[in-house]
Amino acid sequence: MKAFGYVSAKDVAHAVALLGEHGAKAKILAGGTDLLVELKHAVHNPEIIVDVSRLAELKEIVIADDGLHIGALATHADIMNAPIISGMFPALVEAAHSIGAVQTRNLGTLGGNLITCVPSVDSGPALIALDAVVTVASAEGERRMPLAELFVGPRKTSLKPGDLLIDIIIPKDNLDKPAAFEKFGLRKGQALALVNVGVSFWVGDKSVFKAPRIALGAVAPTVIRAPKAEAYLDGRKISAEAMAEAGRIAATEAKPITDFRAGAEYRRDLVAVLVKRALAKAQARAAAKQKELVA
Amino acid sequence: MTDVTMTVNGQTRSASVPPETTLLQLLRDNFNLTGAKLGCDVGDCGACTVIVDGQAVNSCLMLAGQADGRRVLTIEGLASRDHLHTIQKTFENSGALQCGFCGPGVLMSAKALLDENLNPSTQEIRDALSGNLCRCTGYTKMIEAVQDAARLMREDSRAQLTHARTEVATP
Repeated sequence: MKAFGYVSAKDVAHAVALLGEHGAKAKILAGGTDLLVELKHAVHNPEIIVDVSRLAELKEIVIADDGLHIGALATHADIMNAPIISGMFPALVEAAHSIGAVQTRNLGTLGGNLITCVPSVDSGPALIALDAVVTVASAEGERRMPLAELFVGPRKTSLKPGDLLIDIIIPKDNLDKPAAFEKFGLRKGQALALVNVGVSFWVGDKSVFKAPRIALGAVAPTVIRAPKAEAYLDGRKISAEAMAEAGRIAATEAKPITDFRAGAEYRRDLVAVLVKRALAKAQARAAAKQKELVA
Repeated sequence: MTDVTMTVNGQTRSASVPPETTLLQLLRDNFNLTGAKLGCDVGDCGACTVIVDGQAVNSCLMLAGQADGRRVLTIEGLASRDHLHTIQKTFENSGALQCGFCGPGVLMSAKALLDENLNPSTQEIRDALSGNLCRCTGYTKMIEAVQDAARLMREDSRAQLTHARTEVATP
């Protein structure tokens, strides 16, 4: 690695001040599992590294008035082990578990994973399917935006130099919303997704899909929604046939590429299958929750 | 320069290193602990795995400064001069290592797993070792060795418990 300066931030205010002062010359160190690789490959040549990895305030996973807050520095292992998350959103546990291996999940953070903004980002689809919002801090203050607006293009977020991702929020109206995550890679461990999928829906009166969300990863420049498939499901009676048809429609909305991992046609087929599987898994979760309520 | 002080295998160690020094470089070059290996240097192979504050991490993906004030356990901290650690013994008995390059990392991943879970399923062992690549491809025997170690460590903790109870019962 080329030489750089290093400061360990004492708190969020200190981190934001340092980032404001150094702007584009600074890089933020969170988990480091992506940043250190990029520094070794000289993708970035920062003058200074602002280490935020010790900021406990950004690791908290808590329910507040406006929803579930996951601190940007919560590691994938923290997410897997948080009872609030496994109880309410097993889809997020599945997504976290699908990332890297134990060593990378112990260091890598949710915020760091999201801002890599790679098309296959495994933290993306389930959170997009749950209408997640992010908080960003800078010298000008804090602002919120939908997670979908963070993703601009491959490895390109809407964050500017000086911005610090603070937390990821699942809005309170979506707490407990049945959701699921599915990923297909070439291996179980340490494999990039050929396709990953996040879905969520409520079970409406007379057992129809209500507020369905389908998010697809690795089949477009960023994580995308499948609005036609969602519109098809909205208000429709829940059935295996409807899930399969939604998968077929979503496949037409995907824009996959062919690369050395898989062909575009194969990825499109995977979208149809994974959407169907994820919808079925979310439905099983909704049914289990219903049973719990009745019992 | 970044000044770091940490507990390594139970001993307090300090160094002053350039900020771009990784924990792996610090361990190998400054502390002369060459058990953790430099393999891929990008977090894929797991040969550099050490345990920091109880968690298995790739020491090539951590800056030395990030380990300041923390507890680091490396393969050198497992055995004493007289006794191998149970995991080391079962790996030896099973012939679970061939060329051995991946060994220190595999053993630290196994140690981190067994510290949390003394009764892991085969799938849990596979998951725990999925970040450690063995190019001799000897995974089956490694999994057996971890299972053997888990069994011996369970028996050991039960024996200790019984011993403790006996001591309490006979003042």
